[in-house]
Amino acid sequence: MEEVKKIESEESSTSIQYIVVRIGNEQYGINIQYIDNIVRSQRITRVPKTQVYYKGVINLRGEIIPVMSIREKLGLEPDEFTDKTRIIIVKVENATIGVIVDQVREVVTLDEENTEKITKTTNDDAAAGYISGIGKNKGELISLLDIVSVIVEN
Amino acid sequence: MDVSQYLEIFIDESNEHLQSLSDQLMILEKEPENSDTINEIFRAAHSLKGMAGTMGYKRMQNLTHDMENVFSEVRNGNMKVNSELVDVLFQCLDALETYVSNIQESQDEGTDDNEPIIKALNAFIASENQGTPAPQAEKPAEQATSVAAASTDAPSDEEPEYNNIVLADFEKHAVNEALSKNMHAYMIKVTVDENCILKAARAFLVFKNLEGHGDVIKSQPSVQDIEDEKFDFDFSIVVVTDEDYDTVIGHIKSVSEIKDATGKELTVPYKVETPVEELKKEETKVEKTNTAAPAKAKENKATASKGKTPAKSSKPVGHTVRVDIEKLDVLMNLVSELIIAKNGLVSASASEEGENNTLNQSFNEQIEYLERVTTNLHESVMKVRMMPIESVVSKFPRMIRDLTKKLNKKMELYMSGEDTELDRTVIDEIGDPLMHLLRNSADHGLESAEVRRERGKSEVGSIFLDAYQDGNNVVIEVRDDGNGIDVEKVKNKAIEKGTITEEQAEMMSDKEIVDLLFKPSFSTADKVTDVSGRGVGLDVVKSKIEALGGDVEVKTKYGEGSTFIIRLPLTLAIIQALMVKLGDEKYAISLGSIQTIEDIPVTDIKYVHAKEVIHLRGNVIPLIRLRDVLDVPGEAKEQDTITVVIVSKGDKQAGLVVDSLIGQMEIVIKSLGKYININKMISGATILGDGSVALIIDANTLV
Repeated sequence: MEEVKKIESEESSTSIQYIVVRIGNEQYGINIQYIDNIVRSQRITRVPKTQVYYKGVINLRGEIIPVMSIREKLGLEPDEFTDKTRIIIVKVENATIGVIVDQVREVVTLDEENTEKITKTTNDDAAAGYISGIGKNKGELISLLDIVSVIVEN
Repeated sequence: MDVSQYLEIFIDESNEHLQSLSDQLMILEKEPENSDTINEIFRAAHSLKGMAGTMGYKRMQNLTHDMENVFSEVRNGNMKVNSELVDVLFQCLDALETYVSNIQESQDEGTDDNEPIIKALNAFIASENQGTPAPQAEKPAEQATSVAAASTDAPSDEEPEYNNIVLADFEKHAVNEALSKNMHAYMIKVTVDENCILKAARAFLVFKNLEGHGDVIKSQPSVQDIEDEKFDFDFSIVVVTDEDYDTVIGHIKSVSEIKDATGKELTVPYKVETPVEELKKEETKVEKTNTAAPAKAKENKATASKGKTPAKSSKPVGHTVRVDIEKLDVLMNLVSELIIAKNGLVSASASEEGENNTLNQSFNEQIEYLERVTTNLHESVMKVRMMPIESVVSKFPRMIRDLTKKLNKKMELYMSGEDTELDRTVIDEIGDPLMHLLRNSADHGLESAEVRRERGKSEVGSIFLDAYQDGNNVVIEVRDDGNGIDVEKVKNKAIEKGTITEEQAEMMSDKEIVDLLFKPSFSTADKVTDVSGRGVGLDVVKSKIEALGGDVEVKTKYGEGSTFIIRLPLTLAIIQALMVKLGDEKYAISLGSIQTIEDIPVTDIKYVHAKEVIHLRGNVIPLIRLRDVLDVPGEAKEQDTITVVIVSKGDKQAGLVVDSLIGQMEIVIKSLGKYININKMISGATILGDGSVALIIDANTLV
């Protein structure tokens, strides 16, 4: 047990685990520490007169959770629901939010060597503001999503 | 001694004592001679002091000690209660409250000694002693007797002729009280004829004769012993009566075979020690009499108990348990889940209907039974969470009193319905908005005395706080008989501030203009005072009350006064609702706001100002198409009749047009969470039996 803990703490200091998801044609990584659960897409109850990127609410084991379309938040095409569509349940600052993604791929562990921080630029691209860095995994590039700033409005 | 485990109790009890002190002080200011109140205050102050001392809070103890001194002087009649004294005493209470809240936060009372208050208190005692020489002259004598009484506690040398009668503290207290009421107290020695055979019977007759003329508060030997003939030929009694000495002696001597009765009047009040000890002794004494009671004659018991519990009002104490509110929340959540599960069963049974009739019927019966149980369970848990609104409003009389001084306006607060109950969470939040409204009434509402006189009103302004239950709502009204709202002034101010344009102002009804007062940063007070007029107020009140699921409205008549009406839902978590369908979507409307449901032929829809209305039993009711308001996708089917849910808020009505009705259901209100913007017409969401989510429409916002 002791050893496991040690390894974990060592790892967390130098490397971070990400869940790799597909949104549109791109791969994004979401820091696993914010992820509570991943559920299949289910019936979403529309909420009138709310932000466009909130698709509505779902019932997750008795709790009502707002569901966000990250595609619309990032300025991409509206969601296409397929059997690969998943809702990632994210816990941020005492709030629980569902985020719709097109597909969940894998969990990767990236250490500092394989991640590249990008300084926030004055890029007009809506997505750019929510990307905290770029990760490299098996020759593929993963945009690391700053999920907190996606959810918490400024 | 580790007292930390008692801290919670200490804080709770301190707050209770402080509230009681505040209440009693208010009474005392109006009735300076009310001895019950003075005693009550003394008791509360003393308990506070004792508790603070035990917990090691020295500053708090010192302050209460000085306060107690003042009360003690008042109680002994050496000091008169006046408004300045009450002011200082209220300052004391504020200081004590600060100590308690410091303790609550940091377990430490803080470092403020409150020297000025202590000085002020002592100054009162000093000035009273100098200013009125008479009581001062009396004092040495009083002290002398008290010293004598206290030092030996048995003044046997002084009064051998009274069978070494010794008064316990509570008996002394009874004597003192009698003296303060201008009654007489006599110490009488009764001698029975030596030839008397039935000494006990004669003695009994003496007690009996005195009954109705006064109270025998003490006898030596004890009543029990006298009854058992355990005395020689004489016994002594202390009688408190309003008759004079000769009459009393006459009563005694009228019993045959009584040889003699002599006595003296007790004129100097006894110095009584602390009332807590007094109470303790009193209690043990009462206990003793009680254990001896079965053997006693009924009459004697009556006399004894009458004498031994002097003017002590005993309040009935309910059996209560303090429960952490979190535990109740857990319980409430479990009840909610149970109801959701039950709703699941209901919808499951509905979908299987017709498959197997007999089985289905017994299944339905069980579901109905379950429904009853869950409803009752819910009600019981709700009731546990209910608290009377009294705990919030009890501090208001004090506040109004302070405002009277601060604003230099005479006013009186009348409250009713303090026992109206509300959910604990609402109680916690409702205090500030109510305080705002009361301050508002006091400052803006009530006119100055001159204006009131001109208008032919009583100089003393009246503010009313009425709470009552109205269906599924609790209504709290804050009413004053003051100036009312000057609509023109509000209008001009709004134009001046740019809130509305002049053209808009022309179009607005009086009511709409009055509602501007609830907009942020809007204050019409000509001068900003300490009390109100800073423009934060009514909008805060409104948002707070709306956050609690309620609403607030104003009724006003210029020159006559205004009324703020707050409506709050009785329960927060579970409500009865009507489920309706709009396209493919299901919505819930709280049954509390629904009046009727009507089928209206399309041809009956009329137009007023290009808005749809219907005539219903003499009322013109505007129609609200929920499909449009809620942006429901798709188009409604063309129909000959429309289904209209008539909802009301106060005396306003509106008709909500829905596609179809699903039925009545008990629903659990859930929040939609942070970060998602919710229009205020959606008050929450609920989970239906099939696991899907339905939004709850707050009809109040649509009316």
